[in-house]
Amino acid sequence: MSAFSILTRGLALFMLAVFIFAPQLFAFAFEPLTANNAPAIYNQGSLLSLTLSHLRIVVGATLASTVVAVALGIFVTRPAGLDFLPLSRSLVNVGQTFPPIAVLAIAVPLVGFGEKPTFIALFLYGLLPIFENTLSGLTQVSPLTLEAAKGMGMSPRQRLFQIELPLALPVILTGIRLSVIISLGTATIGSTVAAKGLGEVIIAGLQSNNVAFILQGGLVVALLAVLIHDGLSVAERAVARRLGRPADETT
Amino acid sequence: MIEIEHLTRRYGSTVVVDDVSLRVEEGAIAVVVGTSGAGKSTLLRMINRLVEPSAGRVLIDGQDTRTVPEDELRHRIGYVIQGYGLFPHRTVAENIATVPRLLGWGSKRIAARVNELLDLFQLDPAEFARKFPHQLSGGQQQRVGVARALAARPALLLMDEPFGALDAVIRAKAQEDLLAIQRRLGTTIVLVTHDMNEAFQLGDRIAVMDQARLLQYATPTELLTRPAEDFVERLVGTVERPFRLLSLTGVQAALEPGGAEGEPIALSDNLQNALSQLVWSGRESLPVADPNGVIVGRISVGGILAHGRPPA
Ligand SMILES: Nc1ncnc2c1ncn2[C@@H]1O[C@H](COP(=O)(O)OP(=O)(O)O)[C@@H](O)[C@H]1O
Ligand SMILES: [Mg+2]
Repeated sequence: MSAFSILTRGLALFMLAVFIFAPQLFAFAFEPLTANNAPAIYNQGSLLSLTLSHLRIVVGATLASTVVAVALGIFVTRPAGLDFLPLSRSLVNVGQTFPPIAVLAIAVPLVGFGEKPTFIALFLYGLLPIFENTLSGLTQVSPLTLEAAKGMGMSPRQRLFQIELPLALPVILTGIRLSVIISLGTATIGSTVAAKGLGEVIIAGLQSNNVAFILQGGLVVALLAVLIHDGLSVAERAVARRLGRPADETT
Repeated sequence: MIEIEHLTRRYGSTVVVDDVSLRVEEGAIAVVVGTSGAGKSTLLRMINRLVEPSAGRVLIDGQDTRTVPEDELRHRIGYVIQGYGLFPHRTVAENIATVPRLLGWGSKRIAARVNELLDLFQLDPAEFARKFPHQLSGGQQQRVGVARALAARPALLLMDEPFGALDAVIRAKAQEDLLAIQRRLGTTIVLVTHDMNEAFQLGDRIAVMDQARLLQYATPTELLTRPAEDFVERLVGTVERPFRLLSLTGVQAALEPGGAEGEPIALSDNLQNALSQLVWSGRESLPVADPNGVIVGRISVGGILAHGRPPA
């Protein structure tokens, strides 16, 4: 990463932090967007606590998706699980084609309002990218490498943990990154079923016809997405480098 | 010592290895040669049980390999494949340490062994230990592949076309190095190749396979002078035959008393090289020198040629 891009990322992070902790400092910038003396800065709750809840649900759902998707990816690439490969692929694909709002609509009567239905929607949504990437990461390990590992007397377990997973790791991380980014945006919908999150700011703006609110909610989510995306990309490159490969081979 | 007894492998109704029996003596190199698809790799992979035999058995030093757990068996048998299969995420040192680590050696012992092997394969530990496979040339990767296979001092080394990915010049050097290292360590080797020259250069004995069957298992000289079948005769090459025979015979065999003019030939050389020098220098005979440079006799074109055909 060049010094310039580190600087811009650092600046973006700083601005985001200042905005979340002390949004009033930016009132002047949002005032022109309001009408009829409406408040320029979201005033129905703390931006900081909304951001934290938003992040908490995204991180929690992504962790759950990661555990399930990676375990599933490992299972269907073992000899015992190969038969389930097509089935699990279609199941996870269904999870993806289902609109998140529909998942919420189905989940609310089952688990009630609040964070649960949002968590379920994000969890289902996060599965596919991680599962697909786990599969492609594991299946692209060279047969030659595996043959050598087996020929030297590595057990199936040793091959998985010492060879296959480390080699698939950068690709799996890419899947996790995609999943996090999708969830960050999708989580805003959770506010329609009363999950605490940045969606509240946008919905409040829509209800009171306040463009300033909508913009604030959108900006915070977008900045979070960009920064998290960058942070995870750096981690992926670091892992790929540690695996002894130039970063360009894994992207 | 390896004894292969009536080894057979079928896939469905196709027989890929058909009732093969052969024995490799301690410290010898057996080369399995044959056209592509003959069943060479399958035969080799049945020795370390990467392929389970349909029938027959393999004894290593008298012990039936089926009585040993397969991973344990493979820890004791070095295995080198074409393309090497080095672990891309591990350094050269870590690659070489693979089997010692699986065996639970202490880190000091592993480090010492890795350095010893790097030295043996002319790879400076300071420069290469921390490199990753993708930073190595083909020849260096090949050496790391063999070093890795030898790390836990296996008494037996299986090699499946280990030089197949190298270009000619590097291959010749790699073959020489392997021979030197094998003579030094006394490792028993079973090596698979489709390259007849390689078979003649490396093999103490050569097993010729075709269409799943073992046609002949004999010394290189026997293969040339008494081929068991037409196929063997064609495979060893009727044109190259006399020259191969000469290359297998030492200068000593055609040594004559007396002296001659010209650049002396080393006693340790083979007759093919001696003939080549005679032809090139345009002489009928050349002096022969022992390792100390003392002239011990001479060698002549006529004397050499008598060794380029089967004994009457
Ligand atoms: N797992 C397998 N299933 C079916 N056929 C196989 C399998 N492995 C090898 N064969 C067949 O066995 C034959 C011999 O293969 P191989 O031992 O690799 O030959 P070589 O090493 O002499 O080229 C080939 O025709 C190949 O297609
Ligand atoms: Mg083969």
